[in-house]
Amino acid sequence: MPRDIWKVLLSSGSGRAGLAFLLVLVAVSFYVVGTYPRDFGLSRWNNPAYWADNPKSAPPRWVSLLGTDTTRHRVWERSRPDSVTPAGDREARLYAFSFSLGPKEVPTFLSLSLADAVYYGDPPLLSLRLSRPDGKEIGLFSYSLPGPRPGEASPTARFQDTPLRIFLSRDEALLRSTSRFLSQEFGLQLGPPELMGKVESALFGTPQGEGFVPLPGDYTLAVQAVTTDSRDRIGQLKLVVGGSSYGAMGTDAVGRDIASGLLFGFPVSLIIGLSTALLVTAIGAFLGVLSGFSGGRVDTLIQRSCDILVNIPLLPILIFLIFVLGQKLWLVLVILVAFGWPGLTIITRSMVLQLRSGQLVEATQSLGASRWRIMFRHLFFQVAPFILAQLIFITPSAILAEAGLSFLGLGDPSIPTWGQILEQGFRTGAVYVGYWWWVLPPGILIVLTAMTFMLLVLGLEPLVNPRLRSRF
Amino acid sequence: MLLTLATRAATLLGVLVVVLLLVVVTLGATGFSDNILQAVVREEMKGIRESLARTIRDPAQLETALEARRQELVSFYGLDSPWYTRLPGTARRVVTLDLGEARTLRSFKGSARVADIVRERLPLTLALVTTATVITSVLGLLIGVSLATRATSRVDRLLSYLSAISNALPSWWLGILLILLLAFRFQVFPSGGLYSLPPPEGRWDRFLDLAWHASLPVLTLVLVSLGGWVYTVRTMVLNTAQEFFVTVARAKGLPESAVQRRYILRVAAPPILTNLILGLAGSLGGAILTETIFNWPGMGRLYYDAILAADEGVIIALTFLFALIYVAARFLLEVLYIALDPRVRYS
Repeated sequence: MPRDIWKVLLSSGSGRAGLAFLLVLVAVSFYVVGTYPRDFGLSRWNNPAYWADNPKSAPPRWVSLLGTDTTRHRVWERSRPDSVTPAGDREARLYAFSFSLGPKEVPTFLSLSLADAVYYGDPPLLSLRLSRPDGKEIGLFSYSLPGPRPGEASPTARFQDTPLRIFLSRDEALLRSTSRFLSQEFGLQLGPPELMGKVESALFGTPQGEGFVPLPGDYTLAVQAVTTDSRDRIGQLKLVVGGSSYGAMGTDAVGRDIASGLLFGFPVSLIIGLSTALLVTAIGAFLGVLSGFSGGRVDTLIQRSCDILVNIPLLPILIFLIFVLGQKLWLVLVILVAFGWPGLTIITRSMVLQLRSGQLVEATQSLGASRWRIMFRHLFFQVAPFILAQLIFITPSAILAEAGLSFLGLGDPSIPTWGQILEQGFRTGAVYVGYWWWVLPPGILIVLTAMTFMLLVLGLEPLVNPRLRSRF
Repeated sequence: MLLTLATRAATLLGVLVVVLLLVVVTLGATGFSDNILQAVVREEMKGIRESLARTIRDPAQLETALEARRQELVSFYGLDSPWYTRLPGTARRVVTLDLGEARTLRSFKGSARVADIVRERLPLTLALVTTATVITSVLGLLIGVSLATRATSRVDRLLSYLSAISNALPSWWLGILLILLLAFRFQVFPSGGLYSLPPPEGRWDRFLDLAWHASLPVLTLVLVSLGGWVYTVRTMVLNTAQEFFVTVARAKGLPESAVQRRYILRVAAPPILTNLILGLAGSLGGAILTETIFNWPGMGRLYYDAILAADEGVIIALTFLFALIYVAARFLLEVLYIALDPRVRYS
């Protein structure tokens, strides 16, 4: 029997396509389960701080191949300086970040983060300078680490748990120094408030007419840390020159890497679909065989419950129960199973009814087989191919039901799914401003996953539908 | 025949009762119904305080009088007894949609009563679902029959693939695609809403504007269900066309159109209708999501807004109403089924 299933599946185009897709789904799921942290949803996906340094609502990196000009997103992290120069009793530690901007590249923001700083004497003093391709230099910004509190023991440790993040694009001091730079070098009178929001185009461009044109070429952002003790340490220094495109699938409005969320959705949707389908078929088939073989009061009871349950419109009930009982993924599964089994029971029963009067049952009965043995050793295996097809058929509907529910904003916040990504895109208006990279990929993945199982069902059809069996 | 109809009606009534029980017990056991009743008590106390304050001047006396009235109300609503004793009352409230006031949602006329809000939205949902169902059924019949008559293997296979795709296509995502494509890229249709702003004058113009706004949601609902529907019609018609009585009819020299209409379609009609009945719950669910996408101010969109605003009264009312609509539509179709199937009629 199992060999038959493979033969049937592999002999049809849809079966082969379905198997190939399924293989990809399973492979990606295993990769994700192996590499992602368990609490990905809470610690990363729904933690805005984790995504703060990403560009917001940025298209994928590869749109530049399609002719759209975007700026690359650049991130540097250093744990030690590039050079250290002694200056009297002090030390100047230099971190240099060089990059080259293309003809139409304009960074979208600048941000500097510090973590794990330890100092012994006076707090280190940080300063940031930008040198431009036209030879001009700007002192952008300086910052002194918070001094020791009264009574605090030396060495003083700062930013151990949460890093300090300075969003330079909105920084008063940086706006002021840029304004000074523009008036000294170009004779341009622009106050800090006027520069708000376009300071990058001024820093990385030259004035022309009313605005600025991008200035391509090699830039260096240099961070200098002046320390008073050679044991002082800055464990991590992170500089971000924000771009306007990001990663394989772009980012959403919070800066989340959509690709990472989409990947996480693979195992989640497989688990939702398969576990629901397995439970539904187990319960549905068991009750169906029982109901069809027993007859009498058991049959009536099961059939009446089926009649009622199968007629309850699922989505409103799902919305209601999840709204009242809480947004938990396991609860969604339980509800889907609770309202999903009757359909299978009704069909299985009708098949068992036909088989019950057959000679096989009569023969095993005369051999003295017990009722349970007849039901689940003999009858069950006769309807098994059909049940297998149903199992595959139910899987996508469970995935689609969860996606629909998530789309209404009732997803489990601790477990990101494709439906939730789509919902966030829809709710924040991504559809209406054309952020296609945010709404198309999750939908395509949902459809492809559902399609995979539909193709498998199509491939199994000859096994299930006896009329077509003659082909083999 | 009457017996069949009565059994179906009993089952559907059972569905309604089960939904009602489920809703009421869940509300009671989770304390939701207490919250609703407490809100009602607070609301009434506000009115009582105003009227009492006019007659009782002494503040201490006023407070004791108010507390006494509050106790009366609490025991009147049964808030001092366990939740299961209040089940019949809650059930009555759900059935009559007497669910107090919505928190933030308002009806178009500005009323906060849940019943008013829901009542306004109901016709819009019915209009959308009915239009889509009628269009799908007519198109499905036409295409399905014409496909069945010249079923070649290539068209046939293409059709099964298309039907599989449409099974896997969520209506809401198709809606988003259509918005991106037809509302923003090509700007043929509006992206959502009921009327243009400002709505046009004149009854006829208003109707046209409404139809224009309804076209994308209707198109979505039709596209999602058409594939499976065409496939069903085709299979049923094909099965019937292979029967002997069809061959006999042809042999008698009846014109092909008559054979199709009177011998094939007439016989295939009941099972086709069965499939329509089975798909009904799905299309209601699809309507909830489609309305959300297109900002069609029916009950589906109201669901979404109520979830965002955490307005429990509205959600309860909508859940019950959707079950009610479903049961009513099912019953209509059952009656139609009995009219169509002589075996049921004369048994």
